[in-house]
Amino acid sequence: MPDFVCRLKRYRQLMDLTQEQLANQVGVRRETIMRLEKAQYNPSLKLAVDISRAVGIPIEEIFIFDLEEFNSRDTSEKNGEKN
Amino acid sequence: MKKNSTKITVFLGVICALITAGSSWYSVVFNDSRFVAPMDLSVYAFRMQDLPMIVSGILFALYILYLFVMLMRIIRVKKQKEASSRMTKRVDPRLGLLGFFGFTGFLGFWTYHADKTVFPFVFFIFFGFFGFFYEGKLSATLMDERYCENKLKANYSANKAAMSIIFFATVFLGQGTLMGNLEYTFIAYIITVALAIALNLFLSSFLLYRYDHEELPKESEG
Repeated sequence: MPDFVCRLKRYRQLMDLTQEQLANQVGVRRETIMRLEKAQYNPSLKLAVDISRAVGIPIEEIFIFDLEEFNSRDTSEKNGEKN
Repeated sequence: MKKNSTKITVFLGVICALITAGSSWYSVVFNDSRFVAPMDLSVYAFRMQDLPMIVSGILFALYILYLFVMLMRIIRVKKQKEASSRMTKRVDPRLGLLGFFGFTGFLGFWTYHADKTVFPFVFFIFFGFFGFFYEGKLSATLMDERYCENKLKANYSANKAAMSIIFFATVFLGQGTLMGNLEYTFIAYIITVALAIALNLFLSSFLLYRYDHEELPKESEG
C-alpha cells in the first residue's frame, strides 16, 4: 500500500489532458506523471503546486496522505452510489 | 561570429609566429643569438638589439593569455548551455564496449614479473566504462526532479559500495602481511582500489538506469 493516494489521473482526464501534455506543462517527463498517478513517486512541493495549478484543483484534493479519512470517504461514496 | 573569432585567433597566431621567427633570425644574424641560445640572465645587460626578441616574447605571452581567456569563455558558454538545456548528454551506448579495456589490467601481472612495473593494474578502472552502456540508454533525457533524485540516490549507493570496499581493503591490507610480502600487499591494494573506482563508475550509471526504469516495489499491506 502506498503512503498516499493520488487522484491526479481522474482530474487530468476531467481536464482532457494527456500525460504528455501535463508533463510538458509542469516541466517533467511523461514517466514521472505516470508514476505520480500510480502513487509510486512522492513529488516535491513545487511540482505538486505546478500540477495543482495545471489541473485547477487544490493540492490536498489530488494528493491524500490521510489514508484512513480517504478510505472512509471512499466507502461512504461507494455506499451512496449503491443506494 | 564564431568563424570570425576563429579566423582572428589563427591570424594573430600566424602574426605572432612570424614576428618570433623574424626576431629570432635578427638575433641569430645580428645579435650573437641572444635570447635564442641559452644565456645567463643573472648578468644580463640591456642592448638595443635585444628589443625585437623582447617585443616578440611579450607578444607571444599576450597571445597565450588571449588563448587562455578564449578557452575559459568557451568553457563558460558551454556550461551555461548545458545548465539551461536540462537534457542529459548524448552518449552512444556502444561506448560501453570501452569497458573491455579493463582486461588490460591483467597485463600488470606480466609487467610485474618482467620489470616490476605495476602501473598497468590501474587499467582495471576501465571496467567502469561498461557504465556508458546505461548512460547511453539515458542520453538526451529530460533531467526533471525525479531524474535528479534518482541520480543522487544512485551516486550515493555507488559511493557507499566503493568506499566500503576501500575501507575494508585498507584495514585488511594495511597490515602489510599479504603472503608475507609488502610488494604483493601493495599490488593487491592497487587492484582493489582500481576495481572499487570501476565499480563506482559503473554502479552510478547502472543504478540510475535501474531506478529510472524499474517499477517501485509496492509495500505489502498490514
